[in-house]
Amino acid sequence: MIRNALIALTTGALLVSASSLPAMAAGKTIAVSWKTFQEERWKTDAAAIKAVVEAAGDKYIDSDAQGSAQKQAADIEGLIAQKPDVIMVVAFDSDAILPSIAAISNAGIKSIAYDVQFEDPNALYITFDNVGVGRIMAKEILKAKPAGNYAFIKGDKGDPNATFLFQGQMEVLKEAMDSGKVKNVCETFTDGWKPDNAQKNMEQCLTSTGNKVDAVLSENDGMASGVVAALTAQGLAGTVPVSGQDGDLAAINRVAMGTQTVSVWKNSVELGKTAAAAAIALANGTAADKIPGVAMFDGGKKKVKMNSILLAPTPITIANIGDAIAAGHITKDQACAGVKGDVMGCK
Amino acid sequence: MAKHHDANSEPARSREGLLKQFFNATEIDTRILGMIVALLLVWCIFDVWSGYIRPNEGLFGGSFLTPRNLWTLLVQTSSIAVMSTGMVLLIVLRQIDLSVGSMLSLVAVATGVLQVYQLGPALGVGHPAIWILGVLACLTLGTAIGAFNGFLTAYAKIPAFIVTLGGLIAYSGVAFLLARGETVAPMDQNFGIFGGGIASSWLGPFWSWVLAAVGCAAIVRGIVNGRRQRQRFGFPLRPVWAEVFLAAIGSLATLGTTWVMNSYPWPPGVIEKYAKSNSIAIPPGIENRDGKAICMAATQVVHCNEGLIYYTGFSLPALIAIAVCMIMTFIATRTAFGRYIYATGGNPEAAELAGINTRALTVKAFALMGFLVGVSSIISSARLNAATNALGLTNELYVIAATVIGGTSLAGGVGTIYGAMVGALMMQSIISGMSLLNLPAAYQNMVVGGVLVLAVYLDQLYRRRVN
Repeated sequence: MIRNALIALTTGALLVSASSLPAMAAGKTIAVSWKTFQEERWKTDAAAIKAVVEAAGDKYIDSDAQGSAQKQAADIEGLIAQKPDVIMVVAFDSDAILPSIAAISNAGIKSIAYDVQFEDPNALYITFDNVGVGRIMAKEILKAKPAGNYAFIKGDKGDPNATFLFQGQMEVLKEAMDSGKVKNVCETFTDGWKPDNAQKNMEQCLTSTGNKVDAVLSENDGMASGVVAALTAQGLAGTVPVSGQDGDLAAINRVAMGTQTVSVWKNSVELGKTAAAAAIALANGTAADKIPGVAMFDGGKKKVKMNSILLAPTPITIANIGDAIAAGHITKDQACAGVKGDVMGCK
Repeated sequence: MAKHHDANSEPARSREGLLKQFFNATEIDTRILGMIVALLLVWCIFDVWSGYIRPNEGLFGGSFLTPRNLWTLLVQTSSIAVMSTGMVLLIVLRQIDLSVGSMLSLVAVATGVLQVYQLGPALGVGHPAIWILGVLACLTLGTAIGAFNGFLTAYAKIPAFIVTLGGLIAYSGVAFLLARGETVAPMDQNFGIFGGGIASSWLGPFWSWVLAAVGCAAIVRGIVNGRRQRQRFGFPLRPVWAEVFLAAIGSLATLGTTWVMNSYPWPPGVIEKYAKSNSIAIPPGIENRDGKAICMAATQVVHCNEGLIYYTGFSLPALIAIAVCMIMTFIATRTAFGRYIYATGGNPEAAELAGINTRALTVKAFALMGFLVGVSSIISSARLNAATNALGLTNELYVIAATVIGGTSLAGGVGTIYGAMVGALMMQSIISGMSLLNLPAAYQNMVVGGVLVLAVYLDQLYRRRVN
C-alpha cells in the first residue's frame, strides 16, 4: 500500500492539472513571492511550479524576499502592480505578511499560502500534513515494534514543528502507552536539531537504561544519523527501529541497509505541481472549494477556517525504496551503496 | 569577637603553614587541583542524583560513575578537548579563533565528499587508501585554512576577531554549498576507527595496560630527569618525599584511569556479532537479563554473568586527545615556538624588540589551530559516521569556554594546556550528566553558561589572593 503512495501522488497531481487545463483560455499570470532562495529546496519548488504554469501557456513571475519580512511586503506590492491573476506566497513571517495579503485581496487577486501558513480566510493553503508526519513515523515504528521501551529524540525546543511532530506521534501511541505496552523511557529535545547532539543524547539514554531501548522516534533524518551511530556503538543498529523525516539521501541508504526503519519524505516537486495546478484553476475562475482535494482546515494558531490542500507525505521504507529511485529522487548507486542481501529496488 | 579570633589564629596558621609547605614542596598548581576537586564533586553529585531517579551500578548507585559512562564521557570530550589545546596558545598570544566550529564543518564536509562521492566510486568502497587520503586531506585542509586566518591577521593586519568572525560565517556557507546542505554518509568503514564507535577502535585491556605501564615509566623518568637537570643548573630541588609523592600520584592516576577503561565490557550485541563473524563458540550458561557477557541458553543467545566477554580498554579518540595534550604541553613548555608564544602574549612589544618574528609566529599558531581542527573533524565525522554542515556548529563557543574555564586569561600570556583539557572535561561532564537526568538542553546551556562565568570569577578571586 505504502509502496504505491509515491506513484499515486504523482498521478494524483497530474490529474489535478490535467482536469483544469483543457477548454480554459491561456494567457493568465501566476506570481510567486518566495521568502528565500538560500535553501536549495525552494529552487526545486520554483522549477516545478514554473514548468506546470508554462506548460499551460500561462506566464510565471516571481520575487525573492531574501529572508526579510520588509522586503517581502515590498515584493508583493511590486507583484500586485504587474496585475497577476494569482499570487502564491511563501511567507517569511506568517503574522507580518497579513497586511500584504489583505492588499492582494483588495486588488481582486486570489492568494495561495504555499507551504507556510498565514491565517487569512480568503487564501487557499497548500502544504504537507505536518502533524501527519509525526503520525506516520509512529505508525511505522509501532508496526515494527508493537511493544517495548520507546525513546523520543525531539528536535529543537524553539521550533514549534518539534512539538507538532511529537503530538502526532502521541496520537498514534496513546492507546499502546495507556495499556502499558509502550513505555516512554527517554524524551529529550535536541539543541539546534544537531546530529551530534542527538548522538550524545542517545548515548546517555542507552547508558541510563542499560541499553533497554526497543525503538527510537527521531524527528528528522539528520538526528537519526546520530541515533544510529549511538546504536551501532552498542551493537544495536538494525535491531532497534529508528524513524526520521526529509528523505535525506544518507537516510534512504540507511533504510536500504536496515539501520533506519522509515524516512518520511515531503516531495517538494509534488507540492509545487499541486499548487501550480490549483493556481491555474483559481486564475480560470474555479472557486477555491471546488478544486479537487480541497478541505476545510482550522488547525492554525488563531483557528481561522481556510480552504486547504494537505498532501500526504510519503514514508520511505525498505519496501518502497525502488519507488524513490524510480521517481528520480535518488540514484540506485546512492541508495544501495554497501547494501548486502535482498532489498527490493537494489537488485 | 576579635579576641576569640586571636585565640584561634595560632594553630590555624601552623596548619595552613603545613599545607603551604606541602604545596611549595610538591609544586602542585593549587588552581588546577581545585578544578579537579570540583570536577570530582560534580561527578559524585550526578551519580547520586541519577541514582535517585533510576538506580544503577555507579559508585553511589547512579549511572554517572560507571565505567561505561566515564568511557563515553572521554569519547564525547575528545573533539572539543583537542581543539581547546590549540585555542590556549592562540589566546595566550592575545589572538582568538572564532571560526573553529565552521572550519570543522567545512573540513568534515569537504573530506566527506572526497571519501564518499569521489574516492569511494573511483577506488571501490572500502579501499584502504580511502581512509589514509581522508585523514591527510582533513589535516592538510585544516592547516591551510588556519594558516590563511593567520596570514590575514598577521600580515594584512586585520584583527583576529574580525578575520575569524568572517570565517565563522563564510566557512559554514562553503560547507553548505559543498554538499548542498545534505548529510554525507556513510563514511569509509576503516575511517570509523577514529570515532570510537566500532570494536576496531578499542585498544583492549592488554595494550591498555602496556600503555599505562609505559606512561608510569615515563612519569618516573620525567621526574628523575627533571631532578638531574635542576642539579646540573643548581636550581632548588624538591624534597625526595615530594618527588616520590608526585610519581606515586601520577602513576596511580594513570593506572586508575586504565583500570576504569578496562572495566567497560563490549556491548553484548557487539560481542555477538564479533563471535559470529570470527566463528568463536559461545559457551552455554544461565540467562541473566542484566548480565554483561553472552551465553547460549539452548539455541538462543542470551545475556549472562559468566560467558563470552571482552573489555574495551582505551578508545582511539580518547587516546588521540591524551596524546595531543601531551604533545601540545611539550610544544608549549619545551620548544622555542611555545616559549615565544608566551613571551609575545605577555608583552608583544618587548618580544618583537627581542627579535621574535611575531608575524610568522602568529601564522604558525593559527596553522597549528587549523591542524587540530583537522584532527577534531576526523574524530567528529568518524564518530557520527557522517559529515554535515551542522557538525561543528557552536563548537567555537565550547572550545573557548573550555579554554577559559581551564584558566587561560583573555588578556594573554597566561594559560595551560592541561587546564583546558580539564575545562573541556568539566563542561562535557555537565552536559552528559544533565542529559542522563533527562534535563532539557535549555537547562544544560544555562548551567554551562553559569559555570563559565563562575569559573572566571573564582579565578579572579584566586589570583587576587595569591598576589
